[in-house]
Amino acid sequence: MSGHFQEGEIETLMNMFKTAFLALSLVAAPAAALAQETAPAAPAEAAAAPAVLEAATNAAEAAPAFPAAKPVPGIGQPVDGALGIQPQVTKIGEEALWMHDWLLMPIMVAMSVLVLFLLFWVAARYRAKANPVASKTSHHTLIEVIWTLVPVLILVGIAIPSISLLAKQFKPAPEGAITLKAIGNQWNWSYEYPDHGIEFTANMLTDEQAKAAGEPRLLGVDNRIVLPVGVPVKLLTTASDVIHSWAVPAFWIKLDAVPGRTNETSFTIEKPGVYYGQCSELCGDRHAFMPIAVEAVSPEQFQAWVKSKGGKMPAEKAAEEAAAKAAADAANAANAAAAANAANAAAPANATEAAPAAANATNAAAAATGN
Amino acid sequence: MTDIAATPSEFQAAHAHDHHDADHKPAFFARWFMSTNHKDIGTLYLIFAILAGIIGGAISGLMRLELAEPGIQYLEHWAAMQGGDGLHLWNALITAHGLIMVFFLVMPAMIGGFGNWFVPIMIGAPDMAFPRMNNISFWLLIPAFTLLLGSAFVSGGTGPGSGTGWTVYAPLSTSGSPGAATDMAILALHLAGASSILGAINFITTIFNMRAPGMTLHKMPLFAWSVLITAFLLLLALPVLAAAITMLLTDRNFGTAFFDAAGGGDPILYQHLFWFFGHPEVYIMILPGFGIVSHIISTFSKKPIFGYLGMAYAMVAIGVVGFVVWAHHMFTIGMDVNTKMYFTAATMVIAVPTGIKIFSWIATMWGGSLSFKTPMMWALGFIFMFTVGGVTGVLLANGGIDNYMHDTYYVVAHFHYVLSLGAVFALFAGFYYWFAKMWGKNYNEFLGQVHFWVFFIGVNVLFFPMHFLGLQGMPRRYPDYPDGFAYWNEVASIGYAIMAGSMVIFFVNVIWSLIAGSKAQDNPWGEGATTLEWTLSSPPPYHQFETLPRVD
Amino acid sequence: MPAIESAAAERGKRRTAISMAMLVVGMVCLGYAAVPLYDMFCRVTGFGGTTMRADAAPGAVAGKTMSVRFDANRDPGLPWEFKPERHTETVTLGAQDMAFYVAKNLSDKPIKGIASYNVSPMQAGKYFSKIECFCFTEQTLEPGQEVRMPVIFFVDPKILDDPDANDIREITLSYTFHPVKPDKG
Repeated sequence: MSGHFQEGEIETLMNMFKTAFLALSLVAAPAAALAQETAPAAPAEAAAAPAVLEAATNAAEAAPAFPAAKPVPGIGQPVDGALGIQPQVTKIGEEALWMHDWLLMPIMVAMSVLVLFLLFWVAARYRAKANPVASKTSHHTLIEVIWTLVPVLILVGIAIPSISLLAKQFKPAPEGAITLKAIGNQWNWSYEYPDHGIEFTANMLTDEQAKAAGEPRLLGVDNRIVLPVGVPVKLLTTASDVIHSWAVPAFWIKLDAVPGRTNETSFTIEKPGVYYGQCSELCGDRHAFMPIAVEAVSPEQFQAWVKSKGGKMPAEKAAEEAAAKAAADAANAANAAAAANAANAAAPANATEAAPAAANATNAAAAATGN
Repeated sequence: MTDIAATPSEFQAAHAHDHHDADHKPAFFARWFMSTNHKDIGTLYLIFAILAGIIGGAISGLMRLELAEPGIQYLEHWAAMQGGDGLHLWNALITAHGLIMVFFLVMPAMIGGFGNWFVPIMIGAPDMAFPRMNNISFWLLIPAFTLLLGSAFVSGGTGPGSGTGWTVYAPLSTSGSPGAATDMAILALHLAGASSILGAINFITTIFNMRAPGMTLHKMPLFAWSVLITAFLLLLALPVLAAAITMLLTDRNFGTAFFDAAGGGDPILYQHLFWFFGHPEVYIMILPGFGIVSHIISTFSKKPIFGYLGMAYAMVAIGVVGFVVWAHHMFTIGMDVNTKMYFTAATMVIAVPTGIKIFSWIATMWGGSLSFKTPMMWALGFIFMFTVGGVTGVLLANGGIDNYMHDTYYVVAHFHYVLSLGAVFALFAGFYYWFAKMWGKNYNEFLGQVHFWVFFIGVNVLFFPMHFLGLQGMPRRYPDYPDGFAYWNEVASIGYAIMAGSMVIFFVNVIWSLIAGSKAQDNPWGEGATTLEWTLSSPPPYHQFETLPRVD
Repeated sequence: MPAIESAAAERGKRRTAISMAMLVVGMVCLGYAAVPLYDMFCRVTGFGGTTMRADAAPGAVAGKTMSVRFDANRDPGLPWEFKPERHTETVTLGAQDMAFYVAKNLSDKPIKGIASYNVSPMQAGKYFSKIECFCFTEQTLEPGQEVRMPVIFFVDPKILDDPDANDIREITLSYTFHPVKPDKG
């Protein structure tokens, strides 16, 4: 499957396990590992990708149905043999990635190397041959104070950007955000776009289907989430049975879906593309087989997609709802009178609401299409 | 409280009048099944832990075999043999691996094994405070382990075995797991918890009341300190786990709704309770290791431990702070910004006392006269591997960064670096360090060194690539993965094979040395070994310290 | 050693052991006490998006509005249809407002249900007060019966003074209807 090992070598590997790890295999295994050094996935493929995407984009405008864009290797999905974090396509993700790569990694590497260096140095300098008589020192207040305070300062240096990153991640979605609701089920995700009147369920493609559709195995789904780029997305998660977790590494987003309650976060995708994620909380037998696939498109294409799904953009929908509300309000009033505490509520609510609601909806539509 | 020269009455009555009785041992059945001798019980614990470790390690072998390549190769065959579903079997395997390694390998070996063997000796006591309770502690583990293993043969949903993960999160563990397997696993935890609580009470009582004259708390060896702190953590944490899993049991079987949103409960409360136990639990597993490593570093540097008080109180600090950081295990559950900021900051604080310990170990070696016998190699390996696991822990402490790493292989790599390469390294270090003392025979130094190096290479090849898998986003607890994760999974599986090979060397060494090893001196390590166990014969007399030692 | 001292040592051990055992019992109790304490903590602080309860609204603050989104979920084991009448509404801070959810029993049996609820973002819980809600009690629907269920609420204007919450533009009020277990009804 992986291409890193020849057929025979896979067999050898398996035999190693099966023969209860005979000492013989110890020699073979590291040798095999060394022999199989391979370069990570070719970057050439990535270069060809924008063209593919463009073609897909053009096709989307022409055809009434909404054809799915092709995933790009190395973007929004794991790369075999890679060492680092997936490329980020949200502002938060880019900032967190920066913090990981340029603040935390250097500190972690420096601390580990420092300890390793000290161990080697001490081992060489104070080995019994080089230093036959041990000193009896067991205290040195200054150095003890230093190795208490310096880590404190380093941690403060980490904590400040860390807290500010948290504050940004918790910034609530602004007005005009698109609301996407993800519901975790055993074992698929269903999605709702409450403002667009769209609902669907996304099941994983089988290996054969994925191959036919050009989707990565275990990541492709039959119904992708489609979202516009540059428009804030408010994600609500909940679950119908056990706890699941909605995660897309390329967005730096992971949010548990807990039955009986709703969680919220928000993100803005900056680049069009197809991004994959996988359920990230153990949820039973098929935990590994309920992936998440998001296709980010231009706002115009998003509108086209909404239409193709039989939905409506929020402006149209809000107008309809406002009209319906006039009728409903009469009923409300009757009901409200019946409810013990409600009598005084009806009047102020009716008078003020219709206008701002409509205005708000227009704003939202403008934000959604204007980008 | 500190300076009581304790002498248990039965010890007085039975032996004080006759010094030749010190090595009189009861007959086989009475000695091993009704044992009240702390050394015998320690030996039982060690044997038990090794057997449990073989089972838990074999399970991880099955897991690495399945994960060696993308696709599901073996699970369906294995499941067909036991008449269940392959994917359920996977979840049963990860659950069993976690529970066995935590509750039936590391805890019994560290606390039950080495704690029982050496805490009384190190503080100059003839035995534990409550020898019969000590016996009960051990024998409670047997039904606990039997229940857990037995759960693999009764239904846990779509196949035999409990598939909830070792964290047993509701509602997957309540409405999501029909069948008796999960009930059996929960009861196994109850029994193992009761065993540990009794053991902890015993250790605290022993250390507070039975130290030899002159052995003040501030002169007590660091291993005894570490076990004392661990015992307190057990007393404070395990009852909360017991309460939480009892609520799970009643939710499962008696219609209560502690964690069921439908009945006004909250599944997130379970996670709070579990991790209030679970986070101190990781210190319970590692603190005795800190103690063991301190002794070994000091012994093989021929120097007293550097900053003794700092070392002792760093452990106290780790224990205390360990109780107020639990929700960093739940960063993605949907918490508000202030809670997340608090748990981020509090978690980072733990790095400070941990750093003090790392640097104090290095300072202990500084200026010493170092020899690199097998125990020292394990201790040095421990220090470096624990540092690597520690710095990734600081990274994971950042709530904003954890959004990416949470529940990925990065976390798996992190906790295996602090446990499999931390706690387990400490266990091997202690085992080689005290091998001669416990069994009266010397282990084979060459095989010990080979075991160390092969194991060291194996576990690093096994666990280091998991960092890369996590950074690429591979979630935990997956029996099959997208092809983009293939390469490093393959490498990790090779690492497992190397590690498993080193275990063959270990067992050859143990068996060969027990049978044909040379007779051990009282103190094989020389002037650096200063604690009381080295003043006794190897193995120590069946009843030690007829006359209590006096510590200046 | 004299027997008296040994007896004192025995007493010391017993005292330590008993106090440790009491500590264990105390921690078990604390584990159980966590259930009501957690509940109380959430109700007081709005932790986890728990909403507040109030008797009356403080009065409208002119010109300050907040969008409220109504979200409905149902346990798959409950054969009901359950949805909000409107998905969003803009309310004036401090003013009492009323919204309706519609529930319909799709089965041929009377069924009792109860709703769990929270608001998001989490930090809004403290400022979202309910005066009257269908979620406070169990609801019984006859076969095929459809009801409109009111929730009367207000958003506390104090939200404007909270630096963690004053940038919230929309609060989502979410309900999940569960069947009431027969042995508990």
